[in-house]
Amino acid sequence: MEVNTSRFGSIHVDAEDLIRFPAGILGLEDCRDWVLLKDAQNDAVAWLQSAQRPKIALPVVSPRRFVPNYHIRVAQAELESLDLEDVRTAQVVVIAGRTDRTITLNLKAPLVINMARRLGRQVVTNGDLPVRYELAGSPLAWKKSA
Amino acid sequence: MLVLSRQRDESIIIGDNVVVTIVDIRGDKVRLGIQAPQEIPVHRREVYEAIQRENLHASQLDRKDVSDLRDLSPPRGPLKR
Repeated sequence: MEVNTSRFGSIHVDAEDLIRFPAGILGLEDCRDWVLLKDAQNDAVAWLQSAQRPKIALPVVSPRRFVPNYHIRVAQAELESLDLEDVRTAQVVVIAGRTDRTITLNLKAPLVINMARRLGRQVVTNGDLPVRYELAGSPLAWKKSA
Repeated sequence: MLVLSRQRDESIIIGDNVVVTIVDIRGDKVRLGIQAPQEIPVHRREVYEAIQRENLHASQLDRKDVSDLRDLSPPRGPLKR
């Protein structure tokens, strides 16, 4: 299928490229099929592009690249729908946001993906992780907060 | 809003396949058990709303809005164990 994305132009997507989120994500429950795209201009981010809605794409990052001690606790029931043989093989990415000052990461509700089965889910983690974790404005500031 | 009274261990059924059970009542806190198919997400309201807002905001971002991420990655030094 062709998806005429607003950020990347028209892209060709095969069925096996799609990642199925049976519950969509919160606020975008109708967006059930997504494709993970690299950003050629930025290797720190990937884009989860909606196949259903060409203007909708989520910037996602590998959380440990920015928060080295990121660790999540998730209710068993949340992970059952992902059919994971081994929970440790799940891919976890977090959605980036932005404020006037800086970029933020949604550590509270990461996306957990079973890449082998092409299944994903936004999970709400237990505990006090922030929905908007602020990344420091400069590498120097980041070192101070580590 | 439909208002029902339930005691501990009693349940209500919503639609065909959502069951809410009163698991425990302690003081002003009620512990609820929810059985629902996986496709139906179930969340505390305030958390849901915060995440929903954040998802919708993120879904509107452009590539230039996140270009800072390149500079925000920590420097890659030797692996620390």
